[in-house]
This record gives sequence, C-alpha cells and structure tokens, in this order.
Amino acid sequence: MHEFSLISSVIDSLENYAAEQGWKKINKVTLRIGAMRQVIPATMQFAFKTACDGTLLEGAELELVDVPIIVCCPRCGHSWGEEHMGMICPYCGCDDAQMSQGMELEIDSVEVEDDGEEKD
Amino acid sequence: MMARRKIDIQQAVMAADLGYAAKIRSFLNERGILMVNLIGSPGSGKTTLLEHTLKGLDLKCAVIEGDVATDRDALRIQATGTPSVQINTNGGCHLEANWIDSTLEKLPLDNLDLIFIENVGNLVCPAEFDLGEDYKVAISSLPEGSDKPLKYPLLFSEAGAVVLTKVDLKPYIDFDELLYWDDVTRLNPHGRRLRVSSVTGEGMQFWLKLLYDWCDEKKRRVQAQ
Repeated sequence: MHEFSLISSVIDSLENYAAEQGWKKINKVTLRIGAMRQVIPATMQFAFKTACDGTLLEGAELELVDVPIIVCCPRCGHSWGEEHMGMICPYCGCDDAQMSQGMELEIDSVEVEDDGEEKD
Repeated sequence: MMARRKIDIQQAVMAADLGYAAKIRSFLNERGILMVNLIGSPGSGKTTLLEHTLKGLDLKCAVIEGDVATDRDALRIQATGTPSVQINTNGGCHLEANWIDSTLEKLPLDNLDLIFIENVGNLVCPAEFDLGEDYKVAISSLPEGSDKPLKYPLLFSEAGAVVLTKVDLKPYIDFDELLYWDDVTRLNPHGRRLRVSSVTGEGMQFWLKLLYDWCDEKKRRVQAQ
C-alpha cells in the first residue's frame, strides 16, 4: 500500500515544478517502474485518480512504463532477467553480478499546458 | 496563447524522501552512530529479538519503534532500560525518512553507538524506503515458511543480513531450510546469513558479533574521514 506515498511524492514534485515553470495544467504523467519495485499498477492508478483531485493534475492520465529486470555478469558478460531471479551468474557462477535495470522508480515525463514560453 | 508540450523530468519519485535519508546518513556519519533498520512480517519476532539483543549488547543503543498503532513495542524496549521512541503511522504500512529525521532529536544522541529502527511489520513496503540506515536487516521466522525470499525479493536482496528467527521450532515445523538459504544466497550472495532463537539463545552470539563488527567498521570509517 505504499503506492499512495509514491503518488503523493509525484504530485508534490510536479506541483513544485509547475509553480517554478508556470505550468497551468498537467495532462499526463509518465512513470518508469522497475520490476523489482513491488508496485501494483491498479493501486497506482487508483491512488493517482484519488490524490489528483483538486490539484493541477485533476483528470490527468497516468502512464506506467514497466522496466524489466536485467542482471549482468561482469566476468562472462552474459545477462539475464527474471527467469533466473538472482545475482549469481547462471552461466559462470560469478557472484558479483549487477542489476543494470529493474530498480527504477522515476518520473519520466509530463505533458503540460502553459503559455508556450520556454523557462530555464 | 496556451501551448501543450511534453517535458522530460527524469527524477526519482522519492527525491524528497531520499534527500531526508541523505541528511540522516551524513548526520550519523559525523557522529559515528550506526543505524540498523529491522524489517520483517508482523509476528516474525523483531521485538523479541531486539529485547534479547539489547540485553546482550555492551553498547549504547536507542530504538525507534514503528507501528501502525499502540506504544506497546516502545514500552517493551523501555523495560530493557534502552531509550526508545514510538512512531505510529496510523494506518501507514512503512516508515519514511522525514519521520526518522524529526524523531532523531528525541533520542539521547550523545555517545550513542547504535540506533535500531524496528519498521512496521511488513515484508513489502518498508523495503522500498531508504531511512538513512547503514544496513537493512531482513527478519523472517521459521513458521512463516521457506518460500519467503523469492516471494519478497527486494527486501532479501537489499539486506545487509538475513536473520532466520525461531529456529528452536524446527522439530515441529515443515521448513525447507536448504531451499531457504539457497534462495537467500541467490538473491544476495554477499549478505550475512544468521539463524537465531531468542528463546534458547541459539545463534545470538553471531548476531551480536555482527553488530559489534558493524559498529567498529562505522567508527573506523568515521575516524578515517
């Protein structure tokens, strides 16, 4: 149920941006969510719909982009995903594998309405 | 004239909370205080392990207790003579760094060696939130079953140590311990692995030794700065 916390962080951040940048309305928010993050998409959508009421984001669309897990072996160069869940290389046994993606929890982009002037 | 446009943000969702976590980390680094974040299911034995740990450790400790409701755990900790502060989340499933930040000042920070955070009982959400700790510790008990690591991979892969509690119940429970440790190792090859019973004291010396080692390592790191 941490989805409500995540969505309220997203709204706080974007309201700050909007105040700085002069956005009048935010029509769409795109988040990138790694598969390691235990986020339930339907709960995110529900939290977003509920928490956006009365903000610049009211009625906005939420797009969730899933980022699959990729783990890479620094020794043999192989990579794998969730089918081999784990940090030990299934090809050479190296235990120093690194997750190159799958931990994302990012605001990727927004679609906004403003007066059309670029601001720094 | 209103214009519609797409703007790249590429910022962490939890940027504000990560800021608090970084602030806490640097505050504790300056003072050489270790912070350990205990995460496990309700009933996994976190508070009991903590009570026995506090009685066994010859270190200056304090405890931040996170619970949805009541101050029962904080009272249990205070009975050991250790200062503790209760945070009630009132329904929230995890602790967040901004709450830890405002709670630290309620602890007697002078000459403190170690702060334990006992997170809200939950294997999912607390794993997502950086509280500025040095280590997360995953606590799971034998009666919960041997399939927990792969079902909750984030916690078990991030933990500095995985502690299997209630091992004294092994004769009574069908628990595939080989599978359990095999899955923990797959997720977290370098994490420390411990099996303890707070009731019989089995394995407690290794857990206490790990905490002393982590404290020493932290003090050495601070002196080297």
